[in-house]
Amino acid sequence: MNILVFTKRVAATQEEELRITGEGQAVDLSKVPFKVNDWDNYSVEEAVRIVDKAGGSVTAISIGDAESDEVLRRAIAMGAKDGFLVETGEALHDPFTRGELIRGFIDKEKVPFDIILTGVQSEDDQFGAVGGVLAGLMGLPYASMVIGIDAVETDHVVIRRELEGGLQEKVKVATPCVLSIQSGINEPRYVSIMGIRKASKVERKVFKADGYEKGSPKIELVKWVYPEKKGGATMLDGELADVCGQLLGILKEKGVYQ
Amino acid sequence: MSYTLIVAEVRRGVFEERNLDSLGLGALLGAQSVLLVPDGAYQVPDKLVDVVLKVKAAEEAYLNPMNMGKILEAVFAARGKPDHVLFTQSSSGTESAAYAAGLFGMPVITDVSGYDRDAGVFLKSYYSDKVFGQFKAAGAPAVLTVRSGSFREFAAEKAAAAAAEAIEGAAAVEARTFVEYVEEEKTDIDITKAEFLLSVGRGIGNQDEVAGYEELAGALKAVLSGSRPVIDKMWLPKARQVGTSGKTVKPKVYLAMGISGAFQHIAGMKDSDCIIAVNKDPGAPIFQYAHYGIIGDIHKVRDKLKELAKG
Ligand SMILES: Cc1cc2nc3c(=O)[nH]c(=O)nc-3n(C[C@H](O)[C@H](O)[C@H](O)COP(=O)(O)OP(=O)(O)OC[C@H]3O[C@@H](n4cnc5c(N)ncnc54)[C@H](O)[C@@H]3O)c2cc1C
Ligand SMILES: Nc1ncnc2c1ncn2[C@@H]1O[C@H](COP(=O)(O)O)[C@@H](O)[C@H]1O
Repeated sequence: MNILVFTKRVAATQEEELRITGEGQAVDLSKVPFKVNDWDNYSVEEAVRIVDKAGGSVTAISIGDAESDEVLRRAIAMGAKDGFLVETGEALHDPFTRGELIRGFIDKEKVPFDIILTGVQSEDDQFGAVGGVLAGLMGLPYASMVIGIDAVETDHVVIRRELEGGLQEKVKVATPCVLSIQSGINEPRYVSIMGIRKASKVERKVFKADGYEKGSPKIELVKWVYPEKKGGATMLDGELADVCGQLLGILKEKGVYQ
Repeated sequence: MSYTLIVAEVRRGVFEERNLDSLGLGALLGAQSVLLVPDGAYQVPDKLVDVVLKVKAAEEAYLNPMNMGKILEAVFAARGKPDHVLFTQSSSGTESAAYAAGLFGMPVITDVSGYDRDAGVFLKSYYSDKVFGQFKAAGAPAVLTVRSGSFREFAAEKAAAAAAEAIEGAAAVEARTFVEYVEEEKTDIDITKAEFLLSVGRGIGNQDEVAGYEELAGALKAVLSGSRPVIDKMWLPKARQVGTSGKTVKPKVYLAMGISGAFQHIAGMKDSDCIIAVNKDPGAPIFQYAHYGIIGDIHKVRDKLKELAKG
């Protein structure tokens, strides 16, 4: 079983104030820390677990600038054998373009695979589309929101997809295929700094993105805007004890606390 | 003639309510709207579209992206290509949308929550709603997935019911087949019945902190629930998850601590009578939906509340 797993380095913006620059041209990420995309952490773990059981090897692939090497080292520390960086000058927003680039890369470099794993979505752009676009472009069977892989056979896998409200569906998918992995499918192993340092000794290959065929972007980012304000909350201000007292007062008023 | 193809989402005999948002965006786009549904006893709002196009396909086949590819091919062959193909922003909607985009070489913009008609741009969330990108599709047909709750008020009733048309389905593909539905396990605590939910998010930091929030819930007589990351990490059981892939709740009070307010979470709690959010980030999107907000460290607020509740 050869598994290709895609892993992306993303800005960790959850606790950051984001500023749009100029007339909406860019979002300033210069002071924001970066990390591995949460969803890809789960899919790298899943790839390693499949190979542990079924044999074969895991290749981690990232598209991005040289800094993305960091998520490849991390994947290697988790158990991937190889790390490939497809180096791009600028971030590619369009999921279609990313799908084309990946297809071009796999075709031209003749990267062998039985299963391709992506995350359900990137934390930053939340497109949730690269896996599906890639499957469509390559003519491969596809399933997304994969929350369980119950069987891996020579010519198919049996997986569970997460639907809404706690419901799942069990689906049989022929291999080779593309699967997009949902968070919570497993418990990703802990990766120590030591582990990542050791992984640095494994050679990662760098490929230049310009070497692969892709068309012009199919969508255009016109500008960035802040969310529309929706009224917003009444803020409780003051000392901690005072604020908490006000909060308890609201709970009493609403009749949920005596 | 230009038209908008609206791919309805159905599940277990039900025409999903979030389809109304696709119908709303369809109305804003202005072209003739053609609603695609599988043949079956679905309650279709046939005054909100121009054409209801029934495809001869079983529900499971229709919800399978590979089959949807074949169905779209048949629709395009029969009616020509539309300007836009709309799917719901949901598990199956996004799956089929992205796959179809790759298959037919169509531009794709997901999670669309706004449309500026004059500029012809679609609004799409980035960074869990902290900023939005205005996108234009460079070609047609463009595939869009529509965020639930964003456009339903624009769905406009027409004078007459839609014309009913039918199209042959395509043979079911072998490459992917439906096996069965798997229901969630029943548990003793039902968060949808609670009047007061204390909900914790990734902001609690680590598993050791959970006990302190359980104590607070005990002191306030609230039921403890959580956002997805807390459940993914198994700090709380799955039945306690609030959001699109968890439960939709409507308590009297929803107290959210360390939850940023991603759309999938908001969709599951926005109709609560009173929402109170505690977060250290003043820009957290949840403050846009909350009635009351506290900017501060949740652990400090937790400890002080416990102290005051005891006294
Ligand atoms: C298909 C799909 C389905 C999904 N379904 C769901 C679902 O059902 N429910 C759900 O919740 N999510 C769901 N998600 C995930 C969702 O997109 C978000 O990733 C998730 O809701 C984020 O959870 P969070 O707010 O707890 O974490 P984060 O977004 O990481 O936010 C943590 C917050 O805590 C704050 N914080 C951190 N430390 C402190 C502190 N000490 N004091 C105060 N504040 C602090 C931060 O400022 C931040 O705002 C789904 C995603 C997908 C793709
Ligand atoms: N630049 C990238 N490098 C590596 N993987 C990517 C990249 N962009 C997207 N992916 C993969 O595609 C998934 C979905 O991304 P998106 O469509 O951007 O939400 C991610 O979870 C990754 O696995």
